Order: sequence, then C-alpha cells, then structure tokens
Amino acid sequence: MKKTIKPYIMLLPAMTIFFGIFVAGLSMTFLQSLGYFPAIGLREFTLNHYKEVLTDHGFLTSLRFSLWIAFVSSSISVVLGVLLAYSIVNSKHKKGLEEIVYKLPVIVPHVVAALLVYNILGQSGILARMAYALGVISQQSEFPALLFDKNGIGIILAYVWKGTPFIAMVVYTVLSNMNNKLSEVALNLGATNKQVFWHVLIPLTMPSIFSSFIIIFAFSFGAYEVPFLIGPTAPRALPVQAYAEYMNPDWSHRPYTMTINMVLTFISFLCIWVYYKIFKLLNKYNG
Amino acid sequence: MIKGKKTIMRKIILFLLIAGLIFNLAGCSQEAVVAGGNEDLLEKSWKSILEEAEGTEISFYGWGGSQMTNDWLDNFLVPRLKEEYNITLNRVPMDIDQVLNKLLGEKQMNVTGTADVIWINGENFSTARSNDLLYGPFTHKLPNFNQYIDAESVEVKYDFGFPVEGYEAPYGKAQFVLVYDEARVEQVPKGHEELMELVKNNPGKFTYPAPPDFTGSAFIRNIIYDIVGYEQFITMEADKEVIAKAIQPAMDYLKELKPYLWRNGETYPATIAQLDNMYADHEVFMSMNYNPNEAAARIKTGEFPRTTNTFVFEKGTIGNTHFLAIPDNAPNKAGALAVIDFILSVEAQASKYNPDNWGDLPVLDNTRLSDSERVIFDDIQIGEGALPQHILLDHRVPEMPANFVPIIEEIWMENIL
Repeated sequence: MKKTIKPYIMLLPAMTIFFGIFVAGLSMTFLQSLGYFPAIGLREFTLNHYKEVLTDHGFLTSLRFSLWIAFVSSSISVVLGVLLAYSIVNSKHKKGLEEIVYKLPVIVPHVVAALLVYNILGQSGILARMAYALGVISQQSEFPALLFDKNGIGIILAYVWKGTPFIAMVVYTVLSNMNNKLSEVALNLGATNKQVFWHVLIPLTMPSIFSSFIIIFAFSFGAYEVPFLIGPTAPRALPVQAYAEYMNPDWSHRPYTMTINMVLTFISFLCIWVYYKIFKLLNKYNG
Repeated sequence: MIKGKKTIMRKIILFLLIAGLIFNLAGCSQEAVVAGGNEDLLEKSWKSILEEAEGTEISFYGWGGSQMTNDWLDNFLVPRLKEEYNITLNRVPMDIDQVLNKLLGEKQMNVTGTADVIWINGENFSTARSNDLLYGPFTHKLPNFNQYIDAESVEVKYDFGFPVEGYEAPYGKAQFVLVYDEARVEQVPKGHEELMELVKNNPGKFTYPAPPDFTGSAFIRNIIYDIVGYEQFITMEADKEVIAKAIQPAMDYLKELKPYLWRNGETYPATIAQLDNMYADHEVFMSMNYNPNEAAARIKTGEFPRTTNTFVFEKGTIGNTHFLAIPDNAPNKAGALAVIDFILSVEAQASKYNPDNWGDLPVLDNTRLSDSERVIFDDIQIGEGALPQHILLDHRVPEMPANFVPIIEEIWMENIL
C-alpha cells in the first residue's frame, strides 16, 4: 500500500496545479457556455447558445476554414517531413544536416514564423521586391496575393515551415533506432530502395507518422497567432473568432464565446483520443 | 491484483482533486468582501492621502502600443513622481480589454489585484462600471481636477455617452484624422463623396482596418456621421434593428466602396499597425489615426514620407477623451490618487502635449488657466503634418454611445464582409 501511494503523493503538487488550472478552467468554460456566469449576473442554464452557435453561418465557415488549414498544412508537413527524415538517414553528412534542417525551425516560435512568411511572401515582401527589381512585375500589387487570402495559403505555408521539421525529427528518431536488419534482408532478397521504403520503412514508421500528424493537426487547428497575423478578415479561423468574441466589451456575449471554446476543446479532445488509440497500436508493434 | 489496487488509488486521488476543486469554486461564488479602509480614504484630507502615498509603488496598466506614449511615461512621469512624492511608478503595458478580463477574473476569485491606475475609456469603461469593477467616485478629491477641469463639460461628464460620475478622471483628448501622402493624393477629400471619387479613380490604394480594430471601427463611425449626421444617435435606443436602419445609407456606401479597396476589399488589415506599415511601404496612399499627432511623430522618426499630411472632413471627425480610473481591488489607492492628480497638473499636461514627448491633446479648461500658464501651452510647437488645436476643435463631433460600438461592428461584419 505504502509503495503504491508514494508516487501519487509525490506527484500531488504538480497534479494540483494541473487539475486546478486545467479542470477548473474547463469547468468554468462549460458552465459559462451554458449561460451560468454569476459575476456578470447570468444565472440561467440553457442550451440555446449551442443551438445558436452550431447553426450560425459565420461559425460554420470559420470551423471549415480552420479544419482546412489544419488538414492541408499537416498533410503537406507529413509528406515533406518523411521525405526529409528519409534523406537525412541516407545522407553521409548526417550530423551537420540534422542540426541545420530541423532544429532551427523547431525552436523558432510560431509568431516569428508568421513574421518570416510575412516578410518574404507579402506584397511588399522580399520576393515581391526582387520580382519588381528584376522587372518581372511592374507594380507591387501584381505580385500574387499569398497572404490574407481566403484559401489561407500564407497560414498553411507558415505551419508547413514549422511542421515539416517536427515530423522529420520524430520520424528520423524512429528510423535511426529501427533495427535495419529488415531492410537489409529485403535488399538481399532483391528489393529496390523504393520497395524497401514503401514496404518496410513506411509501415514500420506509420504509427509515429500518424501520431505526429495528430499533434500538429491539433496545434494548427487550435492556435491563434498565425491566422490572426497573416489570415484574412473573413473567414476568420476559429481561434481568432473565439478571441474576437472574448474581447467583445459586451460581456453578456460571453456564453457565446465559451460555446465556441467548448467546440474547440471537444475537437482537441477528439484528437487526443485518436492519438491515444494510435499510441496503443504503437505499443503493440513494439511489444 | 496490483493493477486493480492502482486503479482504485487513482480513483481516490481523482475524487480528492475534484472535491478540492468544488470547494475552490464554492469559495469563488461567495459575495465580494470590501477591503478595509476604502471608505475611509476618501474621507481623509488631501494632505494625509499624500502622506499615505509617499514612498509607495503604483502599477499603471494601459495600452503600450505606441513608443511615444511609453516614452512619455518612462521619461517624464516616472522621474517626476519620484522627485515630487517619492512614488515609484511601474508601467505595465496591456490592452484595456485584457485588463478588464483580468479584473473580472480577480472579482470572481475575490482577491486584491495588482493594478492601481488603469487607462480606460468608451465601451470598456461602461463595461467596468456596470460590473462594479471601479473605485470611486474619486475625482472631487483631486485638487488639480477641482482647479483646472471643467467638470460640467460634456467631454468630462460623459464618456461615449456614458455618465462618468467621478469614476474616472480625464487623461487626454484625441481626435480622428485621415493621413495622406501629398505626393500621391492630388485632391484632399472634403467628405465621403470626394473620398469615394478619389478611391474609385485610384483602385487598390485605400483601405481601413477591420473592426474590432479601434481605428477601423472609428473610421466606420466617421463615415456614418458624414452620411447621416450624428445628432440622431444621442437619443437613439441601443437596439440592433433601429441602428441598422439608421446607418443603412452608410453601409450601402461602404459596399459601393468595397471593390475599389486594397485587394478588392476581399480582406482588410487586421490592425492599424498593419495599415500604417502598408502606408509606409507605399502599398496604399492613405492611413488614419485616432491620435492627431501620431503622423507627425512618424514623419520625425522617418517611418512616414516627409510629404505626409493629415486632414479632417468638413463636417468634422469624431473626438473623444481618454481617462484614468482606479480598480475597486487596487492595492494602493492613495498612491493612485496622487498620481492621477499629478497628471492633471499644468506641467504634466503641457509636457504630454509637446509633440517631442507625446503630442496628446490637453484636457485642462483654457479659461481656468492663468496668463502665465496659458503661455506654456501656446509656446509648444506642433509637429509637421499635424493640425493646429483650433482646427481640430472646430471640426470635432462627439462619440456615439458606447454600447452602439459593438452593434455597429456586428452590422458591418454582416453587411460588408
């Protein structure tokens, strides 16, 4: 008994903070989304806000936009990341490449990534200036509008820049720790490099590819700063929409905001659940 | 067996944590307890308030998005307060809506806060007042307020149509101006019609920040005033349908303008900072500002071209007063009173008005100044590209009631986006 309880007691300080902040915040959000917010005099429980939010055209457009950004940017990151990891594993100057290619973007914060994309791809950015200087375009506004656009190209590029090295890092670790007997056997039996890649390496790394996909998907779905800085005015990404609602000086609006947050949270939990399932699968493979 | 034990243990611990949490929440819902000494402070003499403030620290929370503003606080106010009252002022840059959310959170937890003085106005003040987040009324206690401020003037009595009732003291005045590049704009528009013509003749060269950006929102209200006048809004009820009907002509105007805006109006800059950058980069030929001296400051720093100038519409542009308030849970109210009183002195207001420092319009009543005090203000040279005070004051119209602002922003989103 003593032994079993000891780790829990030692974890208690950390867990108190975690549950205190996380669970308390979540339960407050949930209560407020139901219309219970005594600090500003709202005391009635209702489901109306959910009904209102889930049928609201603006909300649905934002949701679709956020899902689109998260899905496209994560998919591109996965493809590029796997290729990158594979080429690093096969490269002769492993150490140097590793350091430069993925460590730097992983460290750089998302706000800085947004700023970089803004400075490079904006209509008054570096590329536009170069094109202008070379005479390719005669006016800055002729440069293709990659930022603040309705398809979220700028946002997707920023996320790809951040996501690719992350995927590469995860996949590279798995690839380099993998028992390469299997690949060698395959090669001995006459498989081409391409076949080894598709039939040996990819299936073995699939669980980690999936779980890292989920991580960056959940992140780019729920993050605020990149779509705020380089996203279009409409449709707004869901987190930007939630923030704008939260900042509405009319506090009777608050339950509406919290409903949006609950939807965001629900989708994030869904991601965690999928991640958990994949993790179990991964353990089955290893064990 | 061991596994079963673990699960039970886990459940017990989870239960304990949740139980703790519920106690926590129950604690929060208790009625607020008034911190001791609040009532007494306003009964005390000014002298003993100053004695109490001596040697303390105060935290000044306010918008920190302008270097000029921050510099004035750091380079003038901080050292002068130290000399005068031995008060240490900590400037905390934070947007007012975030400050309010912080105060609201603190109110829920029923704790003493960290902010002593907050820079506030408009719909944020009305939100703070209607949720009992502010301390007061306190302005009648301030010697400089009683001596130099016209307490009966509309701009001191009301903040965006909301009665001030002594819960905030005026800090400075601002007025909306349009910023343009003389080298690229041939004819300065006198009003909305000329602006439409100008933009149609130069597609893609004009835009405005999307609400809820403060300046973009003010631009929309200016257009509304220019088209349907401002008088009707003073008595109008804050009902979305009524407002929507009244401002329909302005929405039609903005809709007509939209295809000629930057990027065909498909997207708008999210902040005034972004629009200013686009103006500095020559992407657009006009910008706008709620601080009439900001453009002059940016010419000086070299961010804006030297050919930058400002103008107001013939029918006028919106002006407002910004204020200072004390949160109800402020830890150092005596210090806060001393600081606010000092900011209302001739010395501080004149230093703030000087465009070398900040360029914020003073709030003192000119008729209450002595001749020697008036000379101090008259001697200040306004910056290149800034409009003189009398032109601004002659073209100044009042702000809308605060609760109209979010409604108008909503209508804009539904109609224009």
